[in-house]
Amino acid sequence: MTKGWNWRWPTRSGLPPLAAVAAVAGVLLMLWLTAPLVEIDLHRILGSAGKMAAFAGDLMVKPDWKYLPQLFWKMVETMEMSFVATSIALVVSLPLGLLAARNATPHVLVYRVIRDLLGLLRAMPELVWALVFVSAVGLGPLAGVMALAIVTVGFMSKFFAESIEVVDPKQVEGIAAHGAGWIQVRLFGMLPQVLPDFVGTVMYVLDHNLRAATILGFVGAGGIGFDLIMSVRLFQYDRLLLIAGSIYLVVTALDHLSNRWRSRIIHGAAA
Amino acid sequence: MKRRLVPGTPLAPRPRSLFPVWLAAVLALLWLIVHHLGISFETLGYGVTDMGEYFSRYGRPDFGDLPSYLRLMAVTLATAFWGTVFALVVAFLLAPLAARNLSPHPLVFRATRELLNVMRALPDLLLALFFVAAIGLGPMPGALAVGVPTAGFLAKFFAESLERVDAGIYEGLASTGANFPQVVMYAGWPSILREALGFTLYILDRNVRMASVLGLVGAGGIGAALHVTLSLFDYGRSAALILVMLVTILLVDYASAWLRRRLA
Repeated sequence: MTKGWNWRWPTRSGLPPLAAVAAVAGVLLMLWLTAPLVEIDLHRILGSAGKMAAFAGDLMVKPDWKYLPQLFWKMVETMEMSFVATSIALVVSLPLGLLAARNATPHVLVYRVIRDLLGLLRAMPELVWALVFVSAVGLGPLAGVMALAIVTVGFMSKFFAESIEVVDPKQVEGIAAHGAGWIQVRLFGMLPQVLPDFVGTVMYVLDHNLRAATILGFVGAGGIGFDLIMSVRLFQYDRLLLIAGSIYLVVTALDHLSNRWRSRIIHGAAA
Repeated sequence: MKRRLVPGTPLAPRPRSLFPVWLAAVLALLWLIVHHLGISFETLGYGVTDMGEYFSRYGRPDFGDLPSYLRLMAVTLATAFWGTVFALVVAFLLAPLAARNLSPHPLVFRATRELLNVMRALPDLLLALFFVAAIGLGPMPGALAVGVPTAGFLAKFFAESLERVDAGIYEGLASTGANFPQVVMYAGWPSILREALGFTLYILDRNVRMASVLGLVGAGGIGAALHVTLSLFDYGRSAALILVMLVTILLVDYASAWLRRRLA
């Protein structure tokens, strides 16, 4: 009902509402205007059908089983990177989240500054940070861990702060009424209420970081990504298939696990 | 039996907490991992002054090529936009099939959900690699690469919203004899329109970030330029590119947050 636009649908006349028509027309116009930038070319899409089939055919090779042990250790490295980065980010995010929550921060100014800082950390994708850190600390997992940790701090602190902001103030007042100090109020009044949310956030972030860690190797920041991009560049499709398959397996496995744990913790099925 | 609180009555035993055990286990695991990865945080500690010196090299952004940077950023934005529209169209078609209460058959529901899981599982950059190998260089494979996983995300979000809609709304329409597409179009989407727009804006936001790194695998946009300037140790231009990216991402972020607030 904003601005008197007719959002109601279906309309009395049975025709699509004006707002929807305008939105679709606007999107189509934008698509048409930006098509040259994206180099959309129907001929090329249609013409590439054969190339795609050929590429798919190239992928149908016998996997290079001898590569499996190396793949396993690279995958372990990828998981380790996301675990370390999440742990570092957790330690940094707990205090930052407190400072960035409106009801827990020592001063409004601190709240504003920290919130803006977190926004900056979140703004750039992991891979850009990874590029910068590879250039700073050299190739290897350290650059990847730092890139992941930086972006994760931005997200985790924001999520923490948002869960802290919706705690029940009565429990907090109750603790404060006992004469609890600044730290004690936050530790015993707020933390117990937000703990399930925090665990959920950490699981979500761990999941996200594993996905991100698989591609950091593209720029040499450790993990499976390096092998992946090399196998594409060297047309080693027998390895490519194994790598893509293992990424798919690990990512879906963690996705299922974290979903299960999250719903158990948040809905308290077995608290 | 009521417990009397008289002085001298022993308190109830403190509940046993396994927290220290877990903490110790996690710390031990971390220690092992840091060793295995060969990360030495000591060097980081020693190198704080070096890091300060390193980042000071980014202090003088070189905006000499600004027009070409802006063009690259425009390509990136257009890639994200096309990817998002692709995702929206696919999600629009798949979401009703993936909603448990709307899906024409439990088998269709399961199959669609599995398809969405597969679409979401592979990272954008991996897909970009595949599409570049299959279609060739340029932003078009990039748009497909951001579109496929986000189609999976959007369809899942939409399906979950459709499942939360009050069953009476669907029944009301179905009782007038509406068939599956009619129920979806006149009961499903109108009920979740605002929520769906919010999700789409969020996805657009995410796609702008993703599209800005697609250039690394040859899928167009600003990412490739940054990779090149950094490997040439051209910190002035890198800083300029990073600033252009940062400002654009923040602008898109604020615009979409503002729009989402208006919708809510």
